[in-house]
Amino acid sequence: MGVGYKDKTLREMLGEKDRLFAETGCIYGLKELELVENDPVTLMKFQMRLVAACTNARETAKLVSASPVALQMGEVLFMVATAEGDVVSSSHGLIGHIQCIPFIVRSMIELGFENTDGIREGDIFSTNDPLYGSPHGSDCYTLIPVFYDGELISWAVGFNHIMEVGGIVPGNLSALSPTAFTDGFLYPPMKTGEDFRQHQWWELLWMRRTRMGGMNILDDKMRVAGAMAIRGKVLEAVEEFGADYFRKATKEILERERRQYIETIKTQAVPGKYQTLKLTPVRYKGTVGKLFPNSDRDWLVHMPMETTIESDGTLTPDLEGLTSEAEFHCNMFPHGTKAMASLGLWPMFAHTATTNTALAYMTDYKIPLGSMSNPMNPFTGTSMGTGVLGAYAQQYHHVFSYTYFARGFLEECFARSPNVAGYGIDGVFGDGERWAGGNFSLIGGDSTGGQPYKDGEPCLSAITNPESDIGETELYEFYEPTGLNIGRKLVPNYCAHGKYRGGLGMVMCQLITQPGQHLTMAVFSSTSSETGTSARGWCGGYPGLGTVCYFLHDTNMKELLEKGLPYPRDFVEAREMLKDDTLKAGSVDLYPADSPNVPCKDGDLFILGAHANSGWGDPVEREYAHLEEDLRYGWLTTDVVEKIYGAISDGDGKIKVSESDARREEMKKKRAERSVDGKEWWKEECQKLLQKQFDPDVYAMYADCMKYQKFRDRMMSVWQLPEDYQL
Amino acid sequence: MRQAEIASKDKIEALVEGKLPDHDVKELIRLAPKDKDRFWKYLEILQSKVPWKDKILLRISDHLFIVASEGGGRVVKCDCGHEFDDYRVNWKFNARVYVRRTREEMAEVISVEESILNPNIVEMREFYCPGCFAQLAVEVVPVGYPPLFEIFPDLDTFYRDWLGAPLDNEDPGWYQEKTAELTSQWSKEG
Repeated sequence: MGVGYKDKTLREMLGEKDRLFAETGCIYGLKELELVENDPVTLMKFQMRLVAACTNARETAKLVSASPVALQMGEVLFMVATAEGDVVSSSHGLIGHIQCIPFIVRSMIELGFENTDGIREGDIFSTNDPLYGSPHGSDCYTLIPVFYDGELISWAVGFNHIMEVGGIVPGNLSALSPTAFTDGFLYPPMKTGEDFRQHQWWELLWMRRTRMGGMNILDDKMRVAGAMAIRGKVLEAVEEFGADYFRKATKEILERERRQYIETIKTQAVPGKYQTLKLTPVRYKGTVGKLFPNSDRDWLVHMPMETTIESDGTLTPDLEGLTSEAEFHCNMFPHGTKAMASLGLWPMFAHTATTNTALAYMTDYKIPLGSMSNPMNPFTGTSMGTGVLGAYAQQYHHVFSYTYFARGFLEECFARSPNVAGYGIDGVFGDGERWAGGNFSLIGGDSTGGQPYKDGEPCLSAITNPESDIGETELYEFYEPTGLNIGRKLVPNYCAHGKYRGGLGMVMCQLITQPGQHLTMAVFSSTSSETGTSARGWCGGYPGLGTVCYFLHDTNMKELLEKGLPYPRDFVEAREMLKDDTLKAGSVDLYPADSPNVPCKDGDLFILGAHANSGWGDPVEREYAHLEEDLRYGWLTTDVVEKIYGAISDGDGKIKVSESDARREEMKKKRAERSVDGKEWWKEECQKLLQKQFDPDVYAMYADCMKYQKFRDRMMSVWQLPEDYQL
Repeated sequence: MRQAEIASKDKIEALVEGKLPDHDVKELIRLAPKDKDRFWKYLEILQSKVPWKDKILLRISDHLFIVASEGGGRVVKCDCGHEFDDYRVNWKFNARVYVRRTREEMAEVISVEESILNPNIVEMREFYCPGCFAQLAVEVVPVGYPPLFEIFPDLDTFYRDWLGAPLDNEDPGWYQEKTAELTSQWSKEG
């Protein structure tokens, strides 16, 4: 006898759901939507009741947390799911994680909890284990079964991204973790509470297995509080509408949403194939070699995607050619990649009345086994798969911006290549107290790319969360008192160029103050300056710029401050002050993305520029009026305007039209002079491939990716390589 | 009526030209449902801006269009009038190509020195129209990487099933990529 509908086991219900979809192509086999057709008003009232339950849970429960990530950046999510695990409604917040709930519930069912520990009223289940549904260890889920008249009718779910997960590197997005054993505190699905209370051992685990136990326990209480609030509202809805209505309506909502998504695609897109790509280097050489010999190397991670918008409006994203799983931090299991990639689907077409898991029923992913997104090793390192493989979200922005552009819906284009950058930090204060933290506030203030009708915006969006927010610097300084923020600003010229340029990137600049006995910081980033934000710009615009991370040690900052002299607020100012010797530093470390654990002392400077986004269109077609505005506001400097845009300023911010027109003609002549015909270029590239003239990291990338047949076929046919070509 | 006003042809034309005020853009974004005839308005606007008569079937880049050519083909054409090839061949192979391979070459177009790409692992390819030398695309990829085929539309399905206006010369072959045929020919030519 099971806990589900009419005493069915959850396993039986899940099997039935899978079978019905396979047979009909409709979620839960719902070819007809009776409630949608016959009484949409009541259904909307019911649905809004669930939305309100989730939103209310989020807005109240997050006050239980002490984490600025939860409290201010809003990196939390509360959800209502069916007994089978489909999310029907959610709050605002980290909405990508909606897609993880079906996998987590499926894992719990397949692990046999019904027959072993049991699933009973009052139980609390928890997990953050990537093997069982979470993208990585920082993503923590709390599930409370909702029973009505003895039947498990729903799941109330709380989720948030915690600030410290206890890995080999402090913080929550470690850019160094060769295996699951260095990822930190990972817990598979488990019953962590009964009678609506968490067990004491659960709190002890947080205290002993992470560096910020108190903060993490409060986050756990937040998740439980929110899920409990949802449970109450679900039961109210069941009482009001009836259990039969609840079961039927939740399923119809999902199928209705699936159809709505497809209708939007058919209305705004163009069927066909779209190729996108992101590359990023991962540099481990010399870092952990003696402990992890398989990690004593660098990688150029290759993340291709060919998305087919099918004739029926569904999507087939094919990831073949993706880098193989490896002993680094950026693997992720398939459900994680699907969840993170969905972050690029919500804003492009799935923004309906509520967010839910209907997306999973219209996307048919091809993720090769053995790749870093479908690893065979259950102990693979995943601490930052979300950041690196999360790039698949940006690829959807690329695909849909292009297809909407082709169809004429320019206003729906949302060209951007988001980044995930921040740092983990830990130390020992002067009084011996140990502390740690993590900061990814820059994620909440992404710039966007140039669009086909306007420039990108600075500090506008967050890939993780539709309600972007960088939080309050003062609160971060309360938790991280060693970092005095002396700059948080946009940097002139820190953008990619185009007819419509990308939004300027934002930078934080901190003066390290009174670190006590010990302090280290470790930066993570999914977008390296070595490769930029993406493998292409838009229609002739340039691809976006990557992360810039400076550590300046043993500076004269105190002297500058005491004398009231100018001090740097961003990396360009720091670089120029170093050049003219007004700023002095004993040593300077510059990282294009991730850093190792860097020891910091009193008076050091830490500067982090997240990234800056891509341009759209040929830069020499940018209107002079826009360039004059750039000069007036200081977004671009006169030398850049002249060199890249071919526009000559009169020194007072006015563009000299006739001289600039002539300069642009000269630039086009230069293009003609130094470019070659496609065929000639093709021959040159072929020769390099035949001679295998590659950097070792590039060689290794090709050798790995050509193991996958589709990518090999593409390489062989495009370059007409001999059949026995091998790397 | 409201929809017709928000998404009028004049406003779509202003949007295409980058002249539509923010308020009107927001109204377009909020428009639900979208105007069903958007594509046809878009084509009319685009067609009025090019100096040639070939019928535009789809816009695939700022300057590039798939057009129905006189002989019954479907080719990629620049607004300047330069014709590339059959749209089933990635047009980048028929463009003019300039590759930035050094930090100095990249610094000409990357305006923050810390963000200059690593030339050991990637090159920056610029693709120009051989007719007007407009910059049509930029790629940052390792040497030897196949050029990205950014959009390869299924035109017959689009026109027939999604727009309800099938094209004259429908054929399943229009959705078969032909880039390899071009490179195979080049290979034979030596």
